[in-house]
Amino acid sequence: MRRLEIKSCIRAAAALALLVCTAGTRAVAEPPAPAVIKIGSLHAASGAYASISMPVYDGLKLWIDRTNADGGAFVKAYGRKIKLQLISYDDQSNPGTAATLINQLITQDHVDLLVGDSGSVLTAVAVPIAREHKMMLFDPTGTGAKFFTHDNPYIALLADPASTIWPKYLADFLINQGVKDGLKKVAILYSTNDFTSTQHEALVGFIKASHAPIDIVFDQGVPTSTSNYTTLIGNIAAASPDAVIELGYVGNDIAFLRNLQDSGQTFRFIFALYPGIETDEIVKNVGAQGIDHVFSYVTAQALDYKPTVGMDVATYRQAFETAYRSQGVAFGFNAIAGYTVGLMIGQTLGAADSLDQLALRRALFAQSGHVRTLDGPFELDATGQQIGEITPLGQLIAHGNTVTNVVVYPPSLATGKPVYTTP
Amino acid sequence: MGRGWRELCLIVLPTVAIAAWAPNLYGNVLLLFNFVLYITLAQGMNAIYGFTGYLPFGYVGFFGAGAYGFAIAAMAGVHPAAALAVAGGAGIALGLILTPLLRLSGAYFAIANLAAAQAVYQVVANPALAPITKGPYGVSLSAVFAPRASYLVAVALMGATMAAIVWLRNGRFGLALMALRDDPVSAASAGVNIVRARTIAWLLSALVASLAGGAFAWQISVFYPETAFDMSISIFAIVFTLFGGAGTLLGPLIGVLLLYGVYNWIGIAVPQYFQLIYGALIVVLVLFLPNGLVSLLTQRGIRVP
Amino acid sequence: MLYHAVLGGLVYGLYFTLVGLGLNLMFGVMRIVNLAHGDVIMLGAYAAWALFTAWAVHPLLAALAILLAFTAIGIPVYYLIVPRLLRARDAEMLSLILFFGLQQIIEAAATIAFGTTERSIPGRVLGHHPVRILGQVLPAAWVWAGAVSAVCVAALYLYLYHSPPGMLTRAVMSNREEAKASGIDVDRVCSLAFGIALALAGIAGVFAPFMLGSVTPAIGPDLNIAAFAVIVIGTLGNPIGTVLGGIIYGVSLMLMQTFLSAWANLLPNLLLIAVLLVRPSGLLGRRVRRA
Repeated sequence: MRRLEIKSCIRAAAALALLVCTAGTRAVAEPPAPAVIKIGSLHAASGAYASISMPVYDGLKLWIDRTNADGGAFVKAYGRKIKLQLISYDDQSNPGTAATLINQLITQDHVDLLVGDSGSVLTAVAVPIAREHKMMLFDPTGTGAKFFTHDNPYIALLADPASTIWPKYLADFLINQGVKDGLKKVAILYSTNDFTSTQHEALVGFIKASHAPIDIVFDQGVPTSTSNYTTLIGNIAAASPDAVIELGYVGNDIAFLRNLQDSGQTFRFIFALYPGIETDEIVKNVGAQGIDHVFSYVTAQALDYKPTVGMDVATYRQAFETAYRSQGVAFGFNAIAGYTVGLMIGQTLGAADSLDQLALRRALFAQSGHVRTLDGPFELDATGQQIGEITPLGQLIAHGNTVTNVVVYPPSLATGKPVYTTP
Repeated sequence: MGRGWRELCLIVLPTVAIAAWAPNLYGNVLLLFNFVLYITLAQGMNAIYGFTGYLPFGYVGFFGAGAYGFAIAAMAGVHPAAALAVAGGAGIALGLILTPLLRLSGAYFAIANLAAAQAVYQVVANPALAPITKGPYGVSLSAVFAPRASYLVAVALMGATMAAIVWLRNGRFGLALMALRDDPVSAASAGVNIVRARTIAWLLSALVASLAGGAFAWQISVFYPETAFDMSISIFAIVFTLFGGAGTLLGPLIGVLLLYGVYNWIGIAVPQYFQLIYGALIVVLVLFLPNGLVSLLTQRGIRVP
Repeated sequence: MLYHAVLGGLVYGLYFTLVGLGLNLMFGVMRIVNLAHGDVIMLGAYAAWALFTAWAVHPLLAALAILLAFTAIGIPVYYLIVPRLLRARDAEMLSLILFFGLQQIIEAAATIAFGTTERSIPGRVLGHHPVRILGQVLPAAWVWAGAVSAVCVAALYLYLYHSPPGMLTRAVMSNREEAKASGIDVDRVCSLAFGIALALAGIAGVFAPFMLGSVTPAIGPDLNIAAFAVIVIGTLGNPIGTVLGGIIYGVSLMLMQTFLSAWANLLPNLLLIAVLLVRPSGLLGRRVRRA
């Protein structure tokens, strides 16, 4: 009821009406509502992490712009809509600068909500600072396992599943179905950074723990700066595996898939990490034919969840592309992640009794298991890791210049059967 | 030695006092910490470049070695004070291993040093060493996290480094080094032990960077190899030193205060053109002040401490 | 596997010769360490990408256009910054900072112009099928990049050793002051070398989208580190020595990828240090050891 009242007040659009409205709906003892809610965040406009950071930043910005166009976000603590102000600094992918700027947001700008930069390296420095200042860190995609401990209540991973969740279905597929289908010799190639190394560790762990008759015939890490895989592909072929799994960053995956195409090598089962995450970017660089029949994760783009809050993927995609078409920022999972962060901030503000950081945490954790965004079901474990937004195994199928990501595992979600290529 | 004491009392002590007091006046302690850190690194760079002419482009190698020395010790349950000693030890050890590089000159030395820093980074970040360094998975030192104490340690280190520069500038040893820089042949014939003098300046410089790395690790507490071996740490230290004026005590200090100050000001005031403006600023400074800020005074015959 | 690594490394290294060539020419002639070299390569890559995307210009044609355009741009840039820089007390070291500043400007401008997303040119443009050489299969793009690199090295050799401006350039390389004293217009010679150095970097950039898979505005610094390894292992200041450096770099990288892949990037750095300590002037150089 109150919500409706507020809405009509704002529609009247008169400052006077607004005043009357707030005065009328809130008890006199309440502190006056702030003119804006300040959201502080960091982004990397340049450097090594720019390509993952900018889509997240743009997604968050888009949510804020939309919310403000709608009169602001509903803040339960004040019982009315309040405009949002985004203060975001560019850390240039430099962790030292990121630390200074995160502290700037907390101590000088006195932001109400704190959002970290993308990726684990830039998020890491913010974790102890947020904790020291007792600020809740809204962590978009920093998945580092070390950030999440039971003694630190001031962090939650919003838009990216924990690294150990990522390869769960891939491993289950290999163990339960791959073996039956004759995928017994597996080759794994991974980039040695936190994100992909952790997935590699988890994958190998799952396979070993299962005691399935899977033989890992090739298992090597390469520096993340590796940009040429031709020789490595030759070496993998020499081990004659049935399945090849490559875990890298976007640039690694593009280079790997292009080199694979150029080399003329084929394997029965090829998995790469990013085709299902940043599908557009991979298609643009590798070509639809280059990822035809390649297996990958299935992320929100292809799962098409029916969200309980915010836009669905198709609508959001259109909005994102309209807003940022000219800026060279690709639509993909990271763009969805940024918008998801915004949605969860909106949910938090709409549920928290006050803007106290622990009240925000309680409100955010209360959403766990009750909200579904375009990114999937939102679920946090006790340490703040994201465990709801799962990544099933999919297979990309090319139709001309476009691709679709067919879910092949787990069976409960499957929309098709895996198709193996004949080498 | 009268001049040395004067510099100590008029420049070093006030700087230390202001830095130690500053957190009471300004809330962004990390920004203050980074100022202190870069003053230390710039002066450490000064010890080797300003007095011997060797420009260690891979200075961050020592910094990272110190950060990881501290982290490995702290994760093993060692007290932070002892972990700092380990950090310094890591820097000295790396310095000793790289001492042969001093046989090179100019760009050769700079590039070889850069390669050495890269090599140390690649060893630390390698998954094969994860049981020791945590490799690519990064370290978390939340057990010893103490922002206040690590800040004060950094301030003390800055004071000690500046005092070392005062000693170099006014003591016989530093004079011998500068003679060596300007004319190795006659300095050698005048009885200066070239190899020993250079090695001492080199190790001093390595020690400073590694202790700074240790303090950084303690302060920042959750980080990855990319953080501790970030090339921009080397570049910043060099830019600040050269912009201020190498071979002096005030030059690098002013260089950091002005240039790192401007860097942060741009980052906070006009984040959308951060990199562009800062890059342009550096180009303009090099072209119009090639010998550093202090050259404005020294050209007029004024002695800069 | 060993044979493939060696042959692949040879061709790959030939490309990295081109990556280092311009950097080495600039250092050899002007004693300038161009930290923005990797970013000039990045600009070349974006130029080729833009030409291909807008008008489907073939990369080889783009390389020609870039050769002319980058040389033409390089000459005024030289006059704008280098003579001023060389008047400084320690110009060789100061150049590191100046070009770091330029690197920042170039990367920032490219980010504003092109965004941060990955860009590439389809591999089919340089040939649909892998090429068989000496019994080993190599990607067509490698062969093209290697061939163009060889042409560039040969052209640079002809320029330096068999053309009048090249002779003057070598005179400046061996001793700038003497060259000046003997009446050579050092700035004219150097500005041309500066332009050529940028053009070589630009041409290396044309093949970057193929050799690296894709490019972003942030690729410069990594390329620069590779280029340093190549030219130091070869011979710092001797452009033709770059060939040796490139090949050693390529072969050792491919061998490491084959036998100890996680450590692959370590070897070039260790080689660089080892070469410098054993032969400080590079494998082909004169002695320049100090003290």
